[in-house]
Amino acid sequence: MTAERVHPNYVAIWVWLVVLMVAGVLATRLPLGKSAVNSLIFAIAAVKAALVALNYMHLRSENWLIYALAIVPVLLVVAMTLVLFPDIVFHH
Amino acid sequence: MTVVFEQSTPALRGKIAIWWVIASEVMIFGGAVGSYIMARAASPGWSAEAAHLSTFMAAINTFVLLTSSMTMAMAFASYQKGDQRGVRRFLLLTILLGLAFLGIKAYEYTSHIMEGAVPWSGSFWSFYYMLTGLHALHVLAGAIVNFILFLAAGRGLSTGYRIEIAGLYWHFVDIVWIFLFPLLYLSY
Repeated sequence: MTAERVHPNYVAIWVWLVVLMVAGVLATRLPLGKSAVNSLIFAIAAVKAALVALNYMHLRSENWLIYALAIVPVLLVVAMTLVLFPDIVFHH
Repeated sequence: MTVVFEQSTPALRGKIAIWWVIASEVMIFGGAVGSYIMARAASPGWSAEAAHLSTFMAAINTFVLLTSSMTMAMAFASYQKGDQRGVRRFLLLTILLGLAFLGIKAYEYTSHIMEGAVPWSGSFWSFYYMLTGLHALHVLAGAIVNFILFLAAGRGLSTGYRIEIAGLYWHFVDIVWIFLFPLLYLSY
């Protein structure tokens, strides 16, 4: 028997996602430096991804094993990319 | 006499299985995105080609995919409430939005190709076609799975927990686009 989860307000999350999307597009027009704008748009993307993962994918209410399955590959990919930076990006 | 208490259900096993699939997909897309970031950071010049992309079209596509994630979540919520018609309605919306995404992508590709920007036009275009092409194939696969569930729901068969599993896959595909959009279209 599946438990009836109280699910988040999917429409409210959607509104936030759309607002953040528009914010991301507008951020490119801000009179800031290149790094600042790039950091801002990726931070916005990370928040949107977290909203989808926690609410639509119900990660908020899942057990630790599912969390681990979700988080570990992300950490691996980030670590992999960062570790290669000195060789590929700064080498030239 | 030993009593064995079976705690794992097909639903839980299926959920863990799809998260394993998502985990390996994260490595695939993550590797590709990481390569793009490194190649672009190493030699900034070639990303000027990104100016040829239409941010407007991609923003529309982002909106389409975000909305499809909401309708997919609502399809699952309908299943939980036992609302079979709601399941069909929201699954159909999700499928149509997915097809809209693919249609807009096809239009974008066509306009690039007509301008002479093909996958072998340079590093940027190779990355662009590879990243968005791989993502589009995932959208297509998800739309096919959703269509199968839509047909099952139409015959009065319960989609069961498969709707949650298909939903998890669909949300993952949305999350990949959430990162591809700023990566290819917004960053400079």
